[in-house]
Amino acid sequence: MASSSPNMLTKFESKSSRAKGIAFHPKRPWILVSLHSSTIQLWDYRMGTLIDRFEEHDGPVRGIDFHKTQPLFVSGGDDYKIKVWSYQTRRCLFTLNGHLDYVRTVFFHHELPWIISSSDDQTIRIWNWQNRSLICTMTGHNHYTMCAQFHPKDDLVVSASLDQSVRVWDISGLRKKHSAPTSMTFEDQMSRANQNQADMFGNTDAVVKFVLEGHDRGVNWVAFHPTLPLIVSAGDDRLVKLWRMSETKAWEVDTCRGHFQNASGCLFHPHQDLILSVGEDKTIRVWDLNKRTSVQSFKRENDRFWVIAAHPEINLFAAGHDNGVMVFKLERERPASAFYQNNLFFITKDKHVRSYDFQKNVESPTLLTLKKLGSPWVPPRSLSYNPAERAILVTSPADGGSYELIHLPREGSGSADGSDTKRGQGNSAVFVARNRFAVFNASNQQIDIKDLSNSTTKTIKPPPGTTDIYFGGTGNLLLITPSAVHLYDIQQKKSVAELAVGGVKYIVWSNDGMYAALLRKHNVTIVTKALEQVSTLHETIRIKSATWDDAGVLLYSTLNHIKYTLLNGDNGIVRTLDQTVYLVRVKARTVYCLDRNAKPKILNIDPTEYRFKMALVKRNYEEMLQIIKNSSLVGQSIISYLQKKGYPEIALQFVQDPQTRFELAIECGNLDVAVEMAKQLDRPKLWSRLTTEALAHGNHQIVEMTYQKLRQFDKLSFLYLATGDAAKLTRMAKIAEHRGDFTARFQNALYLGDVNDRIQMFKEIDLYPLAYMTAKSHGLTEECESILEATGLTEDQITLPAVGSPLTPPKPVVSTFKANWPTKATSQSFFEKALLGQVEGLSLEDEPVPTSHSFGFDDAGEEDGTKRNGALAEVDDDEDAAGWDMGDDIVPEVESDFVNVDSAEAGGAGSSEADLWARNSPLAADHVAGGSFETAMQLLNRQLGAVNFDPLKPRFMEIYEASKTYLPASPGLPPIINYVRRTVDETDPRKVLPIIPRDIESLATNDLQRGYEAMRGNKLEDCALIFKGILHALLVNAVSTASEVEEAKKLVTSACEYSIATAIELSRRKLGSNDEVAQSPEKLKRSLELSAYFTIPKLEVAHRQLALLSAMRLSYTNKNLNSALSFANRMLANGGAAKMLDNARKTKAQCERNPNDALEIEFDQFAEFDICAASHTPIYSGSPFEVCAFDGSKYHSKFKGTVCAVCKVCEIGKNGSGLKLVA
Amino acid sequence: MDPFSAEGELLNLHNYFHQGQFQEVVDFDAVGLSKENALPARVFALRAQIALGQAKDVIADVQGEQEPELVAVGALAELAAGNESKAGKIAEKLAKESGDNSTVQVLAGTVLQAAGNNEEALKLLGNHQGNLEAVALMVQIHLQQNRTDLAVKEVQAARRWAQDSLLVNIAESWVGLRVGGEKYQQAFYVFEELAQAPATSSIQSVIAQAVAEIHLGRLEEAEAALQQAVAKDPIQADLLANSIVLNAIAGKDTKELKSSLSSIAPEHHFLADLHEKSSLFDKAATKYSSKVAA
Repeated sequence: MASSSPNMLTKFESKSSRAKGIAFHPKRPWILVSLHSSTIQLWDYRMGTLIDRFEEHDGPVRGIDFHKTQPLFVSGGDDYKIKVWSYQTRRCLFTLNGHLDYVRTVFFHHELPWIISSSDDQTIRIWNWQNRSLICTMTGHNHYTMCAQFHPKDDLVVSASLDQSVRVWDISGLRKKHSAPTSMTFEDQMSRANQNQADMFGNTDAVVKFVLEGHDRGVNWVAFHPTLPLIVSAGDDRLVKLWRMSETKAWEVDTCRGHFQNASGCLFHPHQDLILSVGEDKTIRVWDLNKRTSVQSFKRENDRFWVIAAHPEINLFAAGHDNGVMVFKLERERPASAFYQNNLFFITKDKHVRSYDFQKNVESPTLLTLKKLGSPWVPPRSLSYNPAERAILVTSPADGGSYELIHLPREGSGSADGSDTKRGQGNSAVFVARNRFAVFNASNQQIDIKDLSNSTTKTIKPPPGTTDIYFGGTGNLLLITPSAVHLYDIQQKKSVAELAVGGVKYIVWSNDGMYAALLRKHNVTIVTKALEQVSTLHETIRIKSATWDDAGVLLYSTLNHIKYTLLNGDNGIVRTLDQTVYLVRVKARTVYCLDRNAKPKILNIDPTEYRFKMALVKRNYEEMLQIIKNSSLVGQSIISYLQKKGYPEIALQFVQDPQTRFELAIECGNLDVAVEMAKQLDRPKLWSRLTTEALAHGNHQIVEMTYQKLRQFDKLSFLYLATGDAAKLTRMAKIAEHRGDFTARFQNALYLGDVNDRIQMFKEIDLYPLAYMTAKSHGLTEECESILEATGLTEDQITLPAVGSPLTPPKPVVSTFKANWPTKATSQSFFEKALLGQVEGLSLEDEPVPTSHSFGFDDAGEEDGTKRNGALAEVDDDEDAAGWDMGDDIVPEVESDFVNVDSAEAGGAGSSEADLWARNSPLAADHVAGGSFETAMQLLNRQLGAVNFDPLKPRFMEIYEASKTYLPASPGLPPIINYVRRTVDETDPRKVLPIIPRDIESLATNDLQRGYEAMRGNKLEDCALIFKGILHALLVNAVSTASEVEEAKKLVTSACEYSIATAIELSRRKLGSNDEVAQSPEKLKRSLELSAYFTIPKLEVAHRQLALLSAMRLSYTNKNLNSALSFANRMLANGGAAKMLDNARKTKAQCERNPNDALEIEFDQFAEFDICAASHTPIYSGSPFEVCAFDGSKYHSKFKGTVCAVCKVCEIGKNGSGLKLVA
Repeated sequence: MDPFSAEGELLNLHNYFHQGQFQEVVDFDAVGLSKENALPARVFALRAQIALGQAKDVIADVQGEQEPELVAVGALAELAAGNESKAGKIAEKLAKESGDNSTVQVLAGTVLQAAGNNEEALKLLGNHQGNLEAVALMVQIHLQQNRTDLAVKEVQAARRWAQDSLLVNIAESWVGLRVGGEKYQQAFYVFEELAQAPATSSIQSVIAQAVAEIHLGRLEEAEAALQQAVAKDPIQADLLANSIVLNAIAGKDTKELKSSLSSIAPEHHFLADLHEKSSLFDKAATKYSSKVAA
């Protein structure tokens, strides 16, 4: 088959005699074909099967049509007959007779119960098929009428005849006459009665409206446009003519020239501005309706075309030729699309590139138009998206295959038409790395690897016969040949793996890039990224598309279903589809897809089934349990599924029926359940199966029971012997004796080693020789003699064989019978336990919150402090799991956004970047990162009066460590050292600056929170360390904006306050235990003072409340009621947790009765003062003090010149230029 | 024909070596190679052995060999075995006698550079006639000397005649990581492509990918890449060094990593540097003290 168009896609072909008429079913995938051989065939073109044949016509059948809604079709043949058929009952319902020559075409009316027919008798007739009568005969043509059709909406008919004319008829009169009147006049009745007769006098039922003349030969076919006032006709003059009509006139618009033989059929494309025509020149031609130029043509080698038909809804056409029918589409309907994370990129029908956001479920406006790509009627074939460059690669089959590389506009809306487009020739193009793409050219069998400037960097010769390429994981391609798929390594230029799967059409990668699905027409093969086959499945219906869900389940769509398959090939139906869609993404219960009009659609699915199966495969029992609990999945099907898939122990949980339960229990070796079921059923067969199973398990107790049930005494005896159960063996002997079963008795006696019993038995059955021998061999002389006596023989008279040693039964080594062997534990899976509710881990509740809080001042109180604190914890937010949680934290939200730090100085080439840093920045941190510690120290000394650098050493080293990376390069040489920048986008060596770890953001979000936590948790040593760390980190740091400087300063102050506070409280605790303190008035005084000072630093309110609470309790217990009162008042003023306020209120009430202090302390609640960070004594306002230039902690002036107690770095009172954090 | 060109039979060997897949080089089946390629193949195998830490074996292997290539390999092995002066002497001699031999250029150049003899090394390497390895080496030396401008030139020149060759890409990425800005991302692409394709992945390329990501400020991704490298070989010195850097940047504790680095590679540049800086700090800190002792 030669085709000049790459786009015409044949969907179905049949072999038969000449096809003269075709009709599509409007809903089902059916097509009726009327043949020259008198047969009418009904095909399912989707499955490719012949559904039925109708053979009642005599001679060729030319006209055929389905009824739009009813299960009817009509046919007209050379036997002058019009037949109406039911395809349900598969027979002809009735025949309409009247035509006097061949019937050429028959069509149903779209709403009225009418049929229109055209015939070689030069008439057009309209029939009512409900009352099976002829209602109108239209005469006027003076040669064969070849075709007559109703207008799809208006009361018009168009007809074509070999008289070279096309006629348009107005049949509104006919409709008026036959529309059901409410009241019938006499005339009406008359006319209705006479309607069957051709009206000889000016028949007004159907009048010729226009006669269109233009064809030079007979006209074979004519058709209305579905919406526009246009008509197309095809004639023996090899022309296809387009006509336009208005209310009053009609005229020829243009002619489509191209057929070089009689044009036999034509029609308008139902949705696009196209005309299709067929001819005896063996071609199907497609014309542009607006330009009347040829768009495509398709030629068959040997078959002349006779008829063409269009599906009313979907993009399908059928053409009948000398040897059958072909159903085809003009173009691929798969919208080109690609998705990345939460965005789908796709190309609409009018070649606009759009994106769709899965999260917001919104479609973007047009990002780009691709009007220039390919030819107007050829849609793009594929789209490949490059997230790094935000570029797309679009291929089009037009002009022998071409591709375009276009950058999407950055700001969504600007619908650029791709001015920076790079183009080239190629059949497929895909991105293979973020800066490379591969272009495959089928004609010269070559793959070019190109960079983003569209220049070829590498050329690859693919394996012969390659038809398509797909992305194959980074640096790899998947090459598709007709018989295999190759995984091709671009670097090594060779195929690293090959899998013999033929006819692969599409490849879909899983989201994690571990698996790929190879889609064929009817198969899906799942492979790993190394191209090892995992599973494959077959579908009878065509597979259209596939996508992976995040859990690794492949969902694929066929023409009418969405199905799933697990990696192990387990598959099933998810839902049905009423129209074909192309899946692009699955998220939880939502499937995103594109329909054939390239509109994003959202379908809801129930993923329970595959999630359950998936959980089963992964043995994720928790999820299974969850699913079982929450959905109505459990049924017979799931049980048999579980059993089939080798999960009897799970299936067991669902089954009630004892028989099935027994089977499952045996299968999974759950003997307890098996016994239970066997007891219920009590059938020998089950018992014996149980025996076998129990024996295999070594569970002799069950074996014993089953033998008893089965009354298998011999086996039972042997079992007792084997287990060494002598007592029961004796009983068995008794039973045997009782039963009179001598063999059994002998056996038991043997097992027991009971000689006497054996002799006795032999005697009983008159086997004296054996009895004698037994006695003799066991040396029982007396017995021997008595036997001899009884038989009347003497020893001389008998000849004895040599007597062996007596047989003694072995002594049991272990008393096995006492207990079972340690049998294999019945496989009680996690799942079962979970089902039985034994697993607590499943509950989602957290562990109970530990409530261990201790704070020294509690022991003297009347209440138990722990309890109270615990109670507070309950009252408060749950995040405060430990320690003192007393309200919400007010934490400064620090936002940091690095902006390039400006610098002034210039650097030169040849010096390392580390040196540049020091030059580029006046910040100590940058000097540290550059390794220039001396200058960094100088800077700090000047800025902040830093003198004691030892505490900063860890910070210095930390910054320095973070400054360089080690890139392994040429073997044998040390790695290349590169310098890590915080100015990532900067390349100007004068502006680059180093990365400084633990920036202000991380300090505020991590360290500060940890500090608060330590505070809450009453871990004051940790707390002090953390805040010191924060101070040191801030001392040597860099930020980018002025607002961040403010943040940093706030953070410094806050860290300073906390450091002082913790230092005060820690020094109070160092005074000794509460008892010790209570004994020494001096210490008690200091203790009370310190606890009061503890309330001074500006902590977060919640933490201050703690300090106040502590101070209040201490004062109260030591009868400093006045102080306690002031603390209580402050607490109440602060507000916060209700419990604590309650407490304060009570204390307040108590104190107000006697507001006096028992012990005078240096704490004036009404005075303004700060705390000296070194001596922890008040600095009243007005008195001289010194500060630390860095953290701002205050000191009595006597401390001037010493190292700051808070930061431990700076010299007190040495004023510098201040902390510098931004360059 | 250049045996390392795209069509040459040594391409794979060459690529393996420069992708850091040394074991693959050693395992490479050289039987099917044509005669003139046998020696280069052997040189590659020996170099890979050295890179795998089997320098002693290589010394024994090339003992008494006369071909300058093998002598140069011997020098490289001596260097790896720690006999720097001996290696240096051999290399200098070779540079004089057979400076136009491309293998000698690369190997002796490596030795000279490692011995700190930058100029000699560059002079020797400058003799090359379209030898990418020499170019790569020169690029590295330039970078080590902080002459990014020269390195850029070198790469651009090589790009003109070697197009998309692996080594050019790699060398360009080295330079890119120094230049920064958009080049970070491009370097990242190259390393990621190497590191993530199963056929080309090696610990070296994974580390390089991680380094690029560190420079790009993508710490989580860098961590993931380093984890991937750990899976390949948990005790690689450069891996540990970069892990320390990453942790330091992320503000995490690095003590443990440092101690494991010092146990496996006590002479690693990172540690030496850190040690030097530590003493520098102590020295510098003594210059300052408070006026009044506390």
